Amino acid sequence: MSCERIQDRFADYLTGDLDEGARREVQEHISSCAGCRTEIENLTAIWAKLGVLPQEQPSGGLRDRFYSMLEEYKSEAAGAGKGFRPARLLAGWREWLTFRRPAFAASFSAFLLLLGIGAGWLVSGGGGKSARLSSLQREVQDMRQTIALSLLSQPSASERLQGVSYSTAVRNPSPKTLSALVNTLNTDSNPNVRLAAVEALYLFRNQPGVNDSLVGSLSIQSSPLVQVALIDLLVEIREQRASEALKALIKNEKLNPDVKKLAEQGIKQLI
Amino acid sequence: MSPTDNELMEQVRDGKVEKLAILFERHQTMLYNFFLRLTGNRAASEDLVQEVFIRILKYRTGYHGESRFNVWMFQIARNAHVDFLRKQKGEIALDDQFTEAPGNEPLPEARYEADQEAALVRRALDKLPVRKREILVLFRFQGLKLREIAELLDCQVGTVKVQVHRALKDLSRIYLELQGGKAS
Repeated sequence: MSCERIQDRFADYLTGDLDEGARREVQEHISSCAGCRTEIENLTAIWAKLGVLPQEQPSGGLRDRFYSMLEEYKSEAAGAGKGFRPARLLAGWREWLTFRRPAFAASFSAFLLLLGIGAGWLVSGGGGKSARLSSLQREVQDMRQTIALSLLSQPSASERLQGVSYSTAVRNPSPKTLSALVNTLNTDSNPNVRLAAVEALYLFRNQPGVNDSLVGSLSIQSSPLVQVALIDLLVEIREQRASEALKALIKNEKLNPDVKKLAEQGIKQLI
Repeated sequence: MSPTDNELMEQVRDGKVEKLAILFERHQTMLYNFFLRLTGNRAASEDLVQEVFIRILKYRTGYHGESRFNVWMFQIARNAHVDFLRKQKGEIALDDQFTEAPGNEPLPEARYEADQEAALVRRALDKLPVRKREILVLFRFQGLKLREIAELLDCQVGTVKVQVHRALKDLSRIYLELQGGKAS
């Protein structure tokens, strides 16, 4: 087989996309053709070298910009919708008027009646539109929660941090989102992510079950940073049930002395 | 089962524009790296990713879903890159953009070597004409099949194979030259 035909297969050879027969042909050729052998060695080497180019992560700013762009687009589309509907109706009129049918003149009054019905439909359509808008907003909220949940389960701590920050943009978090945040608070390996989860749950303190979870988390946390953040939070929201948990906490002999001091102060403040 | 890219894009086309968020989450890193390898400029690459999604929204009604969503998206990405190049007029020295590393802390030796190697590959890639660089990046990093690249570039599969081969040959030569230059 000619060198030219063999070289046509190099691209597939590099990606391993050649079938067994073709692969054998290439190998047979290069075992007897020094030129092609050197060439494929060079190509394979540079192909492998390209692999050292690292994959980089875009900054969080890109994500923020994308979501504001999407929100803007949606609000513009919702606003533009109001102008679009009458324009479509007008186009329909013109079609009617240019369509010369004998019955047209006779039924002009009937046409006007239809127009009246159309106008009525338009006016009543306003209510439907706002319902559609709110359902759209609901869907955006759902989407935020989905993204937050997906980010919270990522292996990279920075992505989980983003997940926590995403969840804070949700107005009415679902029980699933809340339990994912509580789970992050209690089990995440990175204390910074756990700290962020404390802050996020603080925002959702009025949601059912959140305060109980925060109280319960006191006995689970081992990092003094997170313990301090939790104690501050529970004292600030004046969560009475925290007293018992704080009392249990200070009994722990391994507790950091500063945390212990803060917990003792907290118990006094909560009485 | 989670929806495919094509299904999501069809929903975006039909008015559920919020579904674009899922496509963004799936593809932003890959697109960002595509642009980064083409331009060598982090800020510009982020701008270009944003531009791609703006254009997806703008042209969403023209999506027909005949080819894989990726191919359609890369079509938009290529156009955005061409417009970017027009604005830049090739004035910037691409590898200069890469020298601004995220941190100045000294690197461990092994990482230093890997970084030197990556810098050399990047400089070699940068010296390739943009068309060759693009075809290599698409083929090597973006997971596109030769058939899909042919569709994207509107040419025969055979032509793509030849171009990939030539681009790799040129890159290999440039790389060895740079390496020799460094050693001497």
